[in-house]
Amino acid sequence: MKKTVFSLATTVLLALILLASLAFSQEEVASPIMRYKQYEASTGYYEEYEVLPQRRRPIISVPGVARGVFPYSPGAAQVRIRTRLVDSHWGIKFYQNLRCRTCHMEQTRDIHTVRANLTCRQCHGGEPIASIQHYYSPMNPIRKHAYICAKCHEGAGASFASYLVHPPNPFLASTRKDFPVLFYAFWTMMVIASVTFVIFLPHAVFWGLRELFTKKEKP
Amino acid sequence: MQFFGGSESYLQKRRNLKVQPKKKTRIKRFTVTQRIFHLLLILFFLILGSTGLARLYIETSWGKGIASFFGGYETSFQIHKVVGILMICCFLVHAVYLLFKVVWKELPRSLLGPESLLPHPRDIKGFFQHIAWFFHIAIPPKFDRWSYWEKFDYWAVFWGIPILGITGLLLAYPVAASRIIPGWGLNVALWIHRIEAILAMAHVFIIHFFVTHLRRHNFPMDLTMFEGSADLEVTRHERPAWVTRLEESGKLNLLLASETSPRLRILYYLFGYIAMAVGIYLVIGGLANSGSITW
Repeated sequence: MKKTVFSLATTVLLALILLASLAFSQEEVASPIMRYKQYEASTGYYEEYEVLPQRRRPIISVPGVARGVFPYSPGAAQVRIRTRLVDSHWGIKFYQNLRCRTCHMEQTRDIHTVRANLTCRQCHGGEPIASIQHYYSPMNPIRKHAYICAKCHEGAGASFASYLVHPPNPFLASTRKDFPVLFYAFWTMMVIASVTFVIFLPHAVFWGLRELFTKKEKP
Repeated sequence: MQFFGGSESYLQKRRNLKVQPKKKTRIKRFTVTQRIFHLLLILFFLILGSTGLARLYIETSWGKGIASFFGGYETSFQIHKVVGILMICCFLVHAVYLLFKVVWKELPRSLLGPESLLPHPRDIKGFFQHIAWFFHIAIPPKFDRWSYWEKFDYWAVFWGIPILGITGLLLAYPVAASRIIPGWGLNVALWIHRIEAILAMAHVFIIHFFVTHLRRHNFPMDLTMFEGSADLEVTRHERPAWVTRLEESGKLNLLLASETSPRLRILYYLFGYIAMAVGIYLVIGGLANSGSITW
């Protein structure tokens, strides 16, 4: 009897130490009846992908580089891909003294930050900030919609979470590779707008000039 | 005594005016329904433009000023949504109205004829001949009821409202939208909405205002869309093909209209100039502050 209790307690203790602690909202979200099941129109099999990670490529990646190191900029440092770390800022010197925007200036220029006045921490959380592809990260695409988006956007599903909060600049040529639909939609609209103005702006100017020196025929 | 005598004769004149039948010196161009459509379009467009730019320019003091006029950032967004939905409803009503307006019995001819707003090869000819006239190369084209730039303005709005309306609805209700399209589609919708809105505003506030109201022959303002009618002799000069066609078919008498009352004209001028002032204010402010916002 004593032995059984002891071994059971050891098993539970080991499980608590070795396995990740339960997240309560995870249970709620994975419920087959409530919440996301009724809103989400994707597969319907939440029990599977709410909890288990998929073999999905990271959202942010370097074209052509799957793992290891990649050149941060031409001639600059080689940076290790940090999309799967427990602490994505691990090993960065004087990290405590840095502001988010010291390195992530580009990421502060988006609608959520500028218009809705959100701070980085409101989505990315406190320290340590896990890499977005880390198994237990709230930012992991398998649960981002529930853990992050739904904090403000009630009913957000996985599809909703595929919105890019830090979108690439559609003006740039690099966007053609990162986000081709945005790139082509942007440039199609730009071409339509430009053609309209290239035709009708000089049209209005020359018309105005012509009439400026032509007296209207008085009836 | 001259003074009092003068005022007496003024009253006399007024009495005489009431008795005399009004001279029909004008030609009817727009029905009351069409004028109401355009009036609603002006109102909704200006409100949508201001509240939209207030949001886009919220980082600047100019944008904050417009937003505060509408009750702040959040309220201006609510107004933008509600008025946007009203505009979509207006568009749908217009689409139904068009179904009733089409002369179904004479179908191919009625849509290709000069009374139709559909584009026609003769518009391209008119466009090039008009440009040639700018440079003293050709005589001005004989426009019929609708000139090419008026058709362009009409179809620009006709294409603009669905584009802005659909992307606007997706962006206004993002969670619901993400059940229909993938979430990243909202990134795309945002940019389409932006560029189309800026195109629409720039075209209306710069090109439409100049061509319709500010060029010399129409200055200070063309009230045709407000009054519903234009001066017959002016129209005979500006749209000779239309008036000639009406005279030949004997339908001109049906379209003759009398002068609008001066009070209404003052009201139209006032409304028109307020609308133009708002538009030009939005263009100048928008251009001046375009460098200091996060796109």
